[in-house]
Amino acid sequence: MTVLTIESLTKQFRGLRAIEDVTLTVERDSITSIVGPNGAGKSTLFNMVSGYLKPTSGRIEFDGHDITGMAPYRICRQGVARAFQISKPFPELSVQENVLVAASFGRAGERDAKATTTRAIDICHLTPLRDRRAGSLSIGNLRRLELARAIAARPILLLADEPCAGLNDAETRELTNVLSKIRDSGVTILLVEHDIKAVRRVSDRVVVLEAGRKIADGSATDVFSDQAVIDAYLGTAPA
Amino acid sequence: MRGFHKPISSRQWGLSALLLVGAVALPFVASPFELRLAQQILLFGGLAVAWNLLGGFTTYWSFGHAAFFGLGAFAAGLLGQQLGPEVPVALRLVLGLLFAMAVTLAAAVAVALPVLRLRGIYFAIAMLAFAQILGEVSKTFDVFQGAIGFTLPILKVPGLAKVQLFYFLFLVFLMVCIGLFVVMRRSRLGVGLTCIGQDEDTAAMLGVPTERYKLTAFVISAVLTAVGGVLYSYSLGFMTADTVFRIDISLNLILYSMVGGIGTVAGPIIGAAIMILLTQVVLGDLLDLHMLVTGAVLVAMVTLAPKGLIGLVRDMRRRREETTVEEGAAS
Ligand SMILES: Nc1ncnc2c1ncn2[C@@H]1O[C@H](COP(=O)(O)OP(=O)(O)O)[C@@H](O)[C@H]1O
Ligand SMILES: [Mg+2]
Repeated sequence: MTVLTIESLTKQFRGLRAIEDVTLTVERDSITSIVGPNGAGKSTLFNMVSGYLKPTSGRIEFDGHDITGMAPYRICRQGVARAFQISKPFPELSVQENVLVAASFGRAGERDAKATTTRAIDICHLTPLRDRRAGSLSIGNLRRLELARAIAARPILLLADEPCAGLNDAETRELTNVLSKIRDSGVTILLVEHDIKAVRRVSDRVVVLEAGRKIADGSATDVFSDQAVIDAYLGTAPA
Repeated sequence: MRGFHKPISSRQWGLSALLLVGAVALPFVASPFELRLAQQILLFGGLAVAWNLLGGFTTYWSFGHAAFFGLGAFAAGLLGQQLGPEVPVALRLVLGLLFAMAVTLAAAVAVALPVLRLRGIYFAIAMLAFAQILGEVSKTFDVFQGAIGFTLPILKVPGLAKVQLFYFLFLVFLMVCIGLFVVMRRSRLGVGLTCIGQDEDTAAMLGVPTERYKLTAFVISAVLTAVGGVLYSYSLGFMTADTVFRIDISLNLILYSMVGGIGTVAGPIIGAAIMILLTQVVLGDLLDLHMLVTGAVLVAMVTLAPKGLIGLVRDMRRRREETTVEEGAAS
């Protein structure tokens, strides 16, 4: 079943087409990764899905509703959560309290907030840290706290923008494990990620953008052996 | 809100009851001078707690709460003038309080809408300006009689001296402020406000209705402050713009909170007690030194104990616990 449908989406910033005629679909309970060189338009695409930018043309349909150009908080209420790359926790609250706020004020409402919180913390491997002050967490733990908060709102679709950036190998592996667990818990994930190894590991599907255009779309194995992708992206990437 | 706060322990209830008994007994043993000091601690402690309903949770620091203190007092004074002489004093006071609360509620909503859009220092300055403007307006327009002021009738209750009576009124006021603070902190509203204080954008993103919550806290804080202004003016027996629209009141509420601990319930009261005793008793005859000492205390607190005395004690206790845990783990 399709959760998200993006149809001929275009975003024009004055002279620059950051996204040009991109069409893609995201299937329920999958992890779809968007990769591409810097400036390819990945964040722009995300910002349109979450409502922070209005598309110049095209259409975005989520869970059967047309959400093109809708305000961010309304899209959020429809069930799209976003985990930010620069995670901003409430530093003086504990890990558990941070997640509880998201569970209580989010889409799900206060009912079952406690159980939702416990589950989100467990899925994100934060149970041993639940009483720690969020301000004292390492960057790897903070990223997982950001994910825990995002899923505590009980979204249908989770947008994660470069969750592995700046993490070491062990932290990246733990994070990709968490992403898989989130998907298995019934949340569809749309991921932007630079770390190709991580993308290979978790993605059910990979979409490659270059200069605002989609140049490949398929399984990780197929996409990463595609000559156009290798030329445009892998050839220049340090990975 | 469930899951956020431990229930109030029986030890905390016991301690509160003990303090209350002591506070009720005090007027029957203390000298009038001591009682007047205690009065000030109760009133300004309560006002500092009221200031914290906004500033303590959200970190929206109002530098102009005297605006509401004065607005309440003037509302009660103007209403009193309209009432005939046959209206008994107690009823005047009650009607004055109700009118002051209504006027302040309306004014607070009107001011909050533009002012709460500002953050940090801009909010602080806007509130400071608001208080100054109200003070000037009350003096400039004759209807408000700000310059000459109002005389207020003396409230009498048989069996109680005036200083005792107002001591008890201020005690009730403080208890209302404490009660509201504790209930609010433990509610969904309080949790949301605390999140706003830590990161307003993130709070909004997670679904906290930030605008509505800020407005609610602002209005409750303002209305309580107005009640304080009415009670204070009745205890003096008169009011002018200069007795209520006082910038030192605005600043002292912040100072007391900082000394004791912003965002805590006991902190502002402890801070009020320390600063009032320090300036009125220790430096009682050295009026010139008050500002100097106040400034010195402020600088010392900001640099040495930014979370106030309560924060200092908490940090020390936490550190001690952490070392015990580590030693336990090592052995
Ligand atoms: N708000 C904006 N205004 C103008 N240009 C922008 C804006 N946001 C992004 N761009 C441009 O759009 C292109 C795509 O950017 P972005 O989506 O951030 O790429 P990516 O996330 O793939 O690195 C870049 O050339 C960038 O400079
Ligand atoms: Mg980007």
